[in-house]
Amino acid sequence: MSSISIPNRRNAAARPPPVPSSGVSFVLPALLLILAVFILPVVMLLLRSVTEPDPGLQNYRELFESATVARVFVNTFVVSGLVTAIALLIGFPIAWLLVILPKRWADLLFGIVILSMWTNLLARTYAWMVLLQRTGIINKTLMGLGLIDTPLPLVNNLVGVTIGMTYIMLPFIVLPLVTTMRAIEPDLLRAAALCGAGRWEAFRRVLLPLSLPGIAAGGLLTFVMSLGYFVTPSLLGGAGNMMAAELIAQLVQSLLNWGLGGATAFALLVLTLALYAVQLRLLQRGRSQRGG
Amino acid sequence: MLLDFDRLGGLKWVLVGIGILVSAFLLLPILFTVALSFGSSQWLLFPPPGWTLRWYEELWADPRWITSTLTSLQCAVLVTLLATGLGLLASFGLVRGRFAGRETVRALFLMPMIMPVIVVAVALYAFFLRIGLGGTLIGFVLAHTVIALPLAITSISNALERFDKAIEDAAILCGASPWEARLRVTIPAIRDGLFGAAVFSFLTSWDEVVIAIFMASPTLQTLPVHIWGTLRQDLTPVVAAASSLLLLFTLAVMLLAAWFRRRST
Repeated sequence: MSSISIPNRRNAAARPPPVPSSGVSFVLPALLLILAVFILPVVMLLLRSVTEPDPGLQNYRELFESATVARVFVNTFVVSGLVTAIALLIGFPIAWLLVILPKRWADLLFGIVILSMWTNLLARTYAWMVLLQRTGIINKTLMGLGLIDTPLPLVNNLVGVTIGMTYIMLPFIVLPLVTTMRAIEPDLLRAAALCGAGRWEAFRRVLLPLSLPGIAAGGLLTFVMSLGYFVTPSLLGGAGNMMAAELIAQLVQSLLNWGLGGATAFALLVLTLALYAVQLRLLQRGRSQRGG
Repeated sequence: MLLDFDRLGGLKWVLVGIGILVSAFLLLPILFTVALSFGSSQWLLFPPPGWTLRWYEELWADPRWITSTLTSLQCAVLVTLLATGLGLLASFGLVRGRFAGRETVRALFLMPMIMPVIVVAVALYAFFLRIGLGGTLIGFVLAHTVIALPLAITSISNALERFDKAIEDAAILCGASPWEARLRVTIPAIRDGLFGAAVFSFLTSWDEVVIAIFMASPTLQTLPVHIWGTLRQDLTPVVAAASSLLLLFTLAVMLLAAWFRRRST
């Protein structure tokens, strides 16, 4: 240590004297709030998973062995996967349109996406509860057209949750995708056409691969957000397809089983953070590739 | 050519068709709710057999809707002030400061945004019960400030990073004190970021359901908690009326934000 620092001392003196820690006091109030009202409560909740009802890991054994917990997590993954896939399929053409439409129309479409995103979450969920119910407009229309004889069960099941959550997640797919697609050089596609690529080939070999970072970013964001979603699944889902967040709420509120509730929360937290870490890695790789 | 709208050929109409369908998917639930709020059918028949203002009258006559709205407003305004204020200070520290662990602190500030809300809600529920803040306005405000802070800090930090500090230094050279320079030069220059932080913070608190459900007591409820409770019982058209009013409010905030952005550029 000291043998390295001595020859460097002269250089250090030439630079302006470094202020060892400036700005800490500015960060302090917000930092204290986060530590006291966020980190501490979350740590306390997670601690309860290894202390209640007895110290030990029995809550985690129950978490892994319980058929109910396994079913809830499988269902959580199924719903999140479905929502992400459908939102990507719908969101891609919308992002594409937003990039290429004449400005006035693009602004209108963008306004519609933002309006739906900013409308109160419960108001949107209520609308779908009404639309999808047995006597709702969708069943009425389908029956009026003679497509079905009896109302379809569209609510309190997987269908209802998937429709309601896709509606809510769509903007989170569209917005990152627009950023990515806007950065694509139109000349690249012109070049592909000059080289004899048809529309399909240009789409498959140029547009789609170049949009991939946006697809990955939006898709992962949607998937992770869906994993922990509470409101829409509780209102549009049924007892048979509970999701992880509902399980946690039920464990602590109705069953007062804080130990298992804390363990389930920890599992959800680990999953979420792991997926965000993957996303961060993808982003960094994308950035370094572009740089090199 | 795939990125040139006029040269898409037939594909253009496929895309436009999808665009119209998805716009309908996004708009219909909203328009439908507004229509039902004026419909006379208790059972939400569509098209409604007649038109009425009855649901708005019921909304107005029920003191629980009014008190919960006032609680929500009070909470959202306090969260806006607290999150924007703390966010401004923290942004100065993060953007200008040089201290060990700065990146860790930055990551810590963003944590509430990526954490599943249900985990935060359950953790705060237990914590606030223990320290006696459960079901209090302070509890609501602190909890919502924590989840509003990441957005506020991001918005203000971005603005502060774009601002050239040399201008602030120039003001100090011209005789302003450091605080005077910050207040009269820097803060007006980053007002877009501050405005964004305020709008985000307000909407975060105003729309927040999950934490609020856990935090609420029978005597203190925010508007989303009251809607939630009503929805769990039945699908009354009164909720349609409340939703429509919330939509009007959202539109007003959006127009205000757009107007502000246009004025500042």
